[in-house]
Amino acid sequence: MRQITVLTPQQPIELEGCFVDDSVLVDRSSLSDVLGWELKPQGLCRDAECVPVTIDDLVYEDSVDLGAAAKAVGVESVLAQDAGLVALSVPSSTRSEALRGRCAPEFSLPDLAGEDHSLEQFAGRKRLLVAFASW
Amino acid sequence: MVIAVALDESAEAVRPLTNDISFPVLLDRDHLLAELYAISNVPTVVWIDEDGRIARPNSAEVGTDMFSDFTGVGPDEHFDQVREWVRFGKLPADATTEIVDLDVDELKARLAFRIAVHLRRVGDLAANDWFATAAELAPLDFTVRRAALPLQDLDPFGEQFFEFYADWKEAGRPYHGIRRR
Repeated sequence: MRQITVLTPQQPIELEGCFVDDSVLVDRSSLSDVLGWELKPQGLCRDAECVPVTIDDLVYEDSVDLGAAAKAVGVESVLAQDAGLVALSVPSSTRSEALRGRCAPEFSLPDLAGEDHSLEQFAGRKRLLVAFASW
Repeated sequence: MVIAVALDESAEAVRPLTNDISFPVLLDRDHLLAELYAISNVPTVVWIDEDGRIARPNSAEVGTDMFSDFTGVGPDEHFDQVREWVRFGKLPADATTEIVDLDVDELKARLAFRIAVHLRRVGDLAANDWFATAAELAPLDFTVRRAALPLQDLDPFGEQFFEFYADWKEAGRPYHGIRRR
């Protein structure tokens, strides 16, 4: 086991884990912290929702294959083993609800002074979301 | 109202662009919006209504006529359409356009980019390898390719940019959104 950092869409989370071949294993108790889903006998669950999975494909003793668990709930992952990093995407359903369902995905980001603002905070108004950059 | 989000690493780089601006300017160092909204270049504008529905999806709109000579596109038509929407709720015909989702490589490129900027912040030189990985995965994506140039101390108007720009043009100027021309 070593210290790994999971770059979730919200924030980096540090936890114990280990890289085996092209997988990263984490303690099953930490899965919900990084993925938002926890492993139960009926599958991967979040609130009342459960995705059935073949437990034997994901679990090795007390460890879970993070990338495989993520994939099962529509989350893509990229591993940087040398650096001890794992980056996780948002669930693909969030983007399809945006692109096909026209539901604007929520986010919270800091302003230039470091104070957080969310899209929802300005609900009730028509909003022009303008992505720009200095480059 | 306008919510501006800079796909940038530092507030210092953005601040000179925000003089005399009263609306919120947010900093998206990890390019979360490029993932959530499948944004592949800037500026990209999304119209969001009172209820959080996307009224008009990703579109390449400009705020000034600074690049009009170069792109042939000015801001006026968009401004007029925004006024019509705000005053009368009227949407232009292109508002129903469905934006093509990111493919798996474009998504992985965003994750590789996130790894690269994280490594860069902690002073790990492997950052450059991950910028390269991201570029291989999404070779025609400005949020991946061009955004990485200043983070590698390369000129965003330098040789690498013009090579990339030529490839992008050759490929038919791919963009996840609506273009005016």
